[in-house]
Amino acid sequence: MPNANATKPIAARGAGPERAGSVRALASILGKRWVLIFLALETLYFCFKSQGFANLNSLQILLFYGVLVFLLATAELFVIVTGGIDLSVGYVLGFASIISIKLMEWLGPLGLGEPLTVLIGVCLTLVIGLVPGLVNGWLVAYLKVPPFIATFSMLGVCHGVSELIINGVYAMGLPKLASDIGSGYLLYVGPGGRASLFQGPVVDRGVTVLDIVPNIVVVTSIIIGIFAFVLARSKFGRHVYALGGNMDAAIRAGIPVKRRLLGVYALSSFLASLGGIVYAFMYVSGKPDAGASLLLDAIAGVVIGGASMFGGSGSVGRTMLGALIIAVLDLGLRMSGTPTFDKYILVGVILILAVIIERYMQEKA
Amino acid sequence: MDGERAAKGGSGFLGTRAGQALAANWAACFLVLMLMVFSLTGRNFLSIVNFQNVLQIQTVAFLLAAAETFVVITGGIDLSVGFVMGLASVAAAKLMQIFLAGHVPVGWTIGLATLIVLAGSVLPGLVSGVVITKFRVPPFIATLGMWGITNGLALKICQGYPMAGLPDILPGIGNSYLLYVHPGDFVSFFSKPDSFPYNRTRELLRFVPSSLPFVLVVLAALSFVLLRGRFGRHTYAIGGSMDAALRSGIAVDAHIIKIYVLSSFLAGVAGVFNIFQTGIGNYTTFNAQYEFFAIAAVVVGGASLAGGKGRIWNSAMGVLVLAFLENGLAISGVQPFYRYIAVGVLLVLAVVIDKFFPDVR
Repeated sequence: MPNANATKPIAARGAGPERAGSVRALASILGKRWVLIFLALETLYFCFKSQGFANLNSLQILLFYGVLVFLLATAELFVIVTGGIDLSVGYVLGFASIISIKLMEWLGPLGLGEPLTVLIGVCLTLVIGLVPGLVNGWLVAYLKVPPFIATFSMLGVCHGVSELIINGVYAMGLPKLASDIGSGYLLYVGPGGRASLFQGPVVDRGVTVLDIVPNIVVVTSIIIGIFAFVLARSKFGRHVYALGGNMDAAIRAGIPVKRRLLGVYALSSFLASLGGIVYAFMYVSGKPDAGASLLLDAIAGVVIGGASMFGGSGSVGRTMLGALIIAVLDLGLRMSGTPTFDKYILVGVILILAVIIERYMQEKA
Repeated sequence: MDGERAAKGGSGFLGTRAGQALAANWAACFLVLMLMVFSLTGRNFLSIVNFQNVLQIQTVAFLLAAAETFVVITGGIDLSVGFVMGLASVAAAKLMQIFLAGHVPVGWTIGLATLIVLAGSVLPGLVSGVVITKFRVPPFIATLGMWGITNGLALKICQGYPMAGLPDILPGIGNSYLLYVHPGDFVSFFSKPDSFPYNRTRELLRFVPSSLPFVLVVLAALSFVLLRGRFGRHTYAIGGSMDAALRSGIAVDAHIIKIYVLSSFLAGVAGVFNIFQTGIGNYTTFNAQYEFFAIAAVVVGGASLAGGKGRIWNSAMGVLVLAFLENGLAISGVQPFYRYIAVGVLLVLAVVIDKFFPDVR
């Protein structure tokens, strides 16, 4: 396992007093970039450790399996920037994975045709997926319930409602079109350079077709890109940072604090339910605990990305870097044949280390 | 009750002494109300057999809620209790399997495995505590990290399956009752007489599950520590105001580490007890959400996540509220999953009531 404290030996080696200054500067630069360095070392490690990891195609697979973490980490980032926390994202994801399938099952017999069924199902799920977030936001902003309790309760409620809906059997009846989208690629290049969008050419066995960019990765990237823009450039984004930086100052500056909080929790739940739909498309099933273990991953991604749990800082770009660390770890371990149990341990360790490094860097600065 | 406090609490009925008392003890009132309603809606709900079953099944929940109470009073949170419990359970099972394979006598196997795991169960808390105090990592993050670590370790030990092949007498101990009575025939203590035919077990009357005195003793000891000793005073002081606690010379860091160690140890006790109850080593599934129910019980019991408030017995009552909610719904034929929803609603309700009546408890 590459060591997170990669910068330490360098700092320790700086024995000569005349060189100490430049070494310290170097250590500080490396310290600020520790996430990147860690990611590089981690990737390098798995390139040697895992058969077939050093391959351009595994980058696609990496992004494909990482989308849920990316989406939930983005959702969590918005909430954490306001100084709050959303514990419900994982179970909102599970809830959305179930209702998206159930809605499509229910719409199917109406004879709308598959494309319309899928489209309406997705849109309705996204609308219903706003509800947990609106309730969270209402509780936090208007009833002053601590975010931890409000979203913790919502976690329970979503879990309960999900179990009630599926009644002991996982939701399975996803239309074929949806699962095709879920497992499909944007571009296929067949033998002889014939390229086709969305649908792979029919070829004989043994003929290789080049698949380029999974559909799900395309959609997720666009959505996350939009939200990165919203956080970094829009008035809403500025307000979100202001809320987390100093709530009193934000109120005095005339920011509609309650409405913004409501918006942030709704947005978080929206992204989580999008994650649920993606889960359904990818795995062709919906279950209550689909995202249960992703809560740790999402929060770890945000924290590794340098956001403070007290609010006011963090960016989508760095959060994606943090989430990438987890995605690489996940895929690397899977491909090296180690059971995924190790992942939980390592993510837990990295999460704690990230906060310690971040704190250490702040104190030195 | 002085006028100022009453005014803060609201007007009308809620401003009166009776109203304040009701708000202060709403969880107890809710429990009584719930018991009455379920007695009407559920057949055999109001019976000693059912109540004993509930108490017995909730042993683990009582322990975890007590653990969480200490942490919450200091203003922290421990998300790892459920997975520490699972880790303790599979670790004890693994040790027992190893000892049995080495032909260690059954008594020694159980005793040694229990002691080793109980001693080892302080480790996750020690790590969390050190990370929280020495490295200033928020408790939420530190214990979330520990949530992942202990879950991964437990799964590594058990490879994702419950662990069987343990001594047969385990569930006999964990599920025993203090008193067995066969009306007009015999009275027996701790276990039913061997001569009693197996197929007539249902005719036996059983009184007081052995787990009950165990839980009562543990809770009483913890409550005593919290309310009577210096340890408890410091715990409340830290939760009330960290600065004031520091200035008054309390060794805050050392104390907080002890709190997380205690929490982790109690989770370990719960894990070992789990083996005695089920006879197998169980890892904790994500869906079990022990930490959710433990924190919910503590909050329903009137503790504040901001720290400084909370009692062991109130948390135990919180456990009873959640337990009878589950049990009553099940007996009344309602889908058991409603309990997740109901607990979520109760949790928010508890905080909102606490907001409106901040001083009454």
